[in-house]
Order: sequence, then C-alpha cells, then structure tokens
Amino acid sequence: MLKTRIIPCLDVIKNKVVKGVNFKNIRVMGNAVEMAKYYSLSGADELCMLDINASYQNRKTFIKTVESIAKVINIPLTVGGGVSDLSDITDLLNAGADKVSINSAAVKNPKLIRQASLRHGSQCIVVAIDGKRHKNKMKVVIKGGREITKNELITWAKQVQSLGAGEILLTSMDTDGVQNGFDSNMLKKVTSNVGIPVIASGGVGSLEHFYLGHLTKSTGLLAASVFHSRKYKIKTVKKYLSSKGVPVRL
Amino acid sequence: MKKKVIGLIDGQSGNIGSINKAIKDIIKGRPYQLKIIKSHFNYTSFDKIILPGQGAYATLMSNLKKLKIIQPLKKYLNNNSSYLGICVGMQILSDWGYEDKTTRGLGIISGDIKKFRNKKLIIPHMGWNTINLNKDDTIIENNFDKKDFYFVHSYIFQNIKKSDVLAFTLYGKKFPSIVKKGNIYGVQFHPEKSHKHGLNLIKNYILKS
Repeated sequence: MLKTRIIPCLDVIKNKVVKGVNFKNIRVMGNAVEMAKYYSLSGADELCMLDINASYQNRKTFIKTVESIAKVINIPLTVGGGVSDLSDITDLLNAGADKVSINSAAVKNPKLIRQASLRHGSQCIVVAIDGKRHKNKMKVVIKGGREITKNELITWAKQVQSLGAGEILLTSMDTDGVQNGFDSNMLKKVTSNVGIPVIASGGVGSLEHFYLGHLTKSTGLLAASVFHSRKYKIKTVKKYLSSKGVPVRL
Repeated sequence: MKKKVIGLIDGQSGNIGSINKAIKDIIKGRPYQLKIIKSHFNYTSFDKIILPGQGAYATLMSNLKKLKIIQPLKKYLNNNSSYLGICVGMQILSDWGYEDKTTRGLGIISGDIKKFRNKKLIIPHMGWNTINLNKDDTIIENNFDKKDFYFVHSYIFQNIKKSDVLAFTLYGKKFPSIVKKGNIYGVQFHPEKSHKHGLNLIKNYILKS
C-alpha cells in the first residue's frame, strides 16, 4: 500500500534554515545540511527546501547547499524558491535535486511547466500553488500572498496538471503560519479535481492536524515549525498516524 | 587481485549523482572500480552494469542509440552478464514501451510497459510502497520482504512471465516491482532514494550477486 509521506520543509537563506513571517523577525533555526541529515536519518519520507531569499548573491551559496544536502541524504529532495526559467531548473537538478518546484514563474508563464516536464519528465516537476480566499472565491496568490492573481485556484490546479506537472504543493495562505491546521476545505477542493499527487502545506500545529490533512486525500503532508522547534519528532507523527490507521513508513 | 569493473551508464535520463555516490561508498576499500559509460564501450570489459533512468521510455531508448551505447549493451545482455536496471532502466528490458509513442525495447524480458489503467488512481504512483517477495534471492534476502521503497512512475511491466517476477507491489492492482532473468535484474523503484533498504539492495547486487 502507498504510504502517506511526511515531508519536513526547510526555508533556507544561503545555508541556514530560517523562520520568519514575510522576512520580518527572521530567526536562524540551524544549519541546513545538518538539519537535512537529521531528518533523513529520523524517518522523513522526503525533504523539501526553499530558497526564500533568492537574490543573485545568495543563490550561489544556496546551490552549494543543495549539493551538500544531496550528498548526505538518500531520500528524495524537492527544491524550490526563485525558480524563474528552464536553466534554473537544470541547475537545481544538476546540483542533486530530484524534483524542482515552480511557483510564480509558472503563473507568469504557464508554458514553462510544459517545457520543463518535456525536458526533464513530469516526475520531477512540482508546481507550488499558494491559495487564498478573496471575495468568496479561492484565488492563486504570489509573492507570499501579497499579490492576488486573476487565476481561480481550481482552474489553475487543473491547468498545471494538463501542462504536465507531476505533483502539486498546495499552501493555503489563509492557514499558513497560524498552526491551526491544514486548510481541509481548500485541499479537498483541489484533490477532488486533479489526478496527480497533492502535498498539503500550511498550518500544522498538532498531531491531529496531520490526520485531518490525510483525510483530504493529500498524499504528502508538509510541515516546518513543529519539526524545527522539536515539538514533534517525525517518528512521533508517524506512530500517531499509524495508530489512526493511516499507512505510513515506520 | 584483479579489480571487478562496474559500469554506470549515463543515459542522460535524470541525475546519476545519487547512484554514483552510493556505488562509490559501497566499493570503497574493496576490489572494485567504477567507470561511467557515456558512449560506445567494450562490453567484455565490464563485470556489472547499472543503468538508472527517469522520464520516458522512448527518450531513454533514443538517447542510448544516439550515444552508441545500445549495440554493446544488447551484446552484454544477450551474454546474460550481470545487470541492474533502475526504473526506466528496468522498463527498457521489455519488448515494447507505450509511453508517448510505441517504442521497441531491448527484448530481454518478455512483456510490455503500459500505463496504470485504473482511472481512480493518483498518477504518478509517487512515494513509498511495499515490496512482496515471490522468492528469495541474493540481492533481496528474506528481510527485504514487506519493506518500503521509493517509487515514482506512471507505467508498469505487463504481460510478463510470472517466473520473471521476483517481487510485486500493490497499487490498484499487483505490478512487478523487481524482475529477474538469469543475471539480469530490474527494479521499478529507486533504491538510491530508498534510504537504508535501498542502499542494502545496491550493496547486495554489487557484492553478492
């Protein structure tokens, strides 16, 4: 049976894992390579890392960090943040990423999804979608939720699938960072409208939240703070899910 | 003592970094050497060949042709020499592939590569899933039975002889996750991404088979 994936997410600047809301009060949580190694050894099913400040200068160090991480883990690695064109995707795959996640660049230029999946295969192209409710509609937002696009969430999710995305990483900007649980309603709307895997992101604060995330038919559950703060170990989450009858890799 | 030579084929079908590193770690301090195969090669000078692959069947076959790897690889396999194909590297052992367009495979293990047919399944089959052993083997000892490995694929081996299937996995229905004929192995999952069990499988293949 296919297992539900537990995916720690590292928000990275250069080689440091950070935590901060919209670049305010940024706090260093640890060294990215050390933390990646720790999660790989402690039962993470996959690892996600995002360059949250992809400036020209920071990028070089970030790519080196991807290389170092790829060398020390042997679970799949998804890398995103600041991916704007095909050459960015190639650079990250060459650095050792197994999958690359595209966000705003895909919204601005949807053809990029098709070009990338034709060149590298759908299996390594993840489209990250940030969703937010606006005037009673679910919309796609970019720039960390500050810019609302004209795209309707469900239409966009279907479109990225037909363009060749292998997976969707869905973050609800209405629940992200609040630790009140995943946005079940938004996730269910997306999982019931696409046939590719969906990773749930944004809002985990308790063990039950993981279980509720699983009920949305998301096959991957992503979390950052609860793991970085050591509130839960990955094993703790998996044992809890297993006790609720959710298939996990123990 | 003469070193055994392991060939790792770079078919420009995904990144070979992880598998390259896994092999290097395993053979460190042991009488083996690793050579990367990127073009025509002398098939008699290799003791083992590993071919990892991602992406499409047709793409890997045409890359192998372009790189002039296909002819020596066929001779190598027809000799029943030791081989491990990973993901698409396993799929091309079949007669035909039906991804994108119909493509003739290497024809080593009879069968076809076709898409999961169940419309209710989430495709690609992506994540960790269990392998169930049909029989014991050097590369997958008993303790591999019911262990999880990392899969990412939309196509599966069909119309294969039962005797060529070493292990199967359930996703909608049973499909072959490890195939074997003589000294030729294929795994549908990615052992290089499958943490310790994956690394043990590569280790067993290199050191024991």
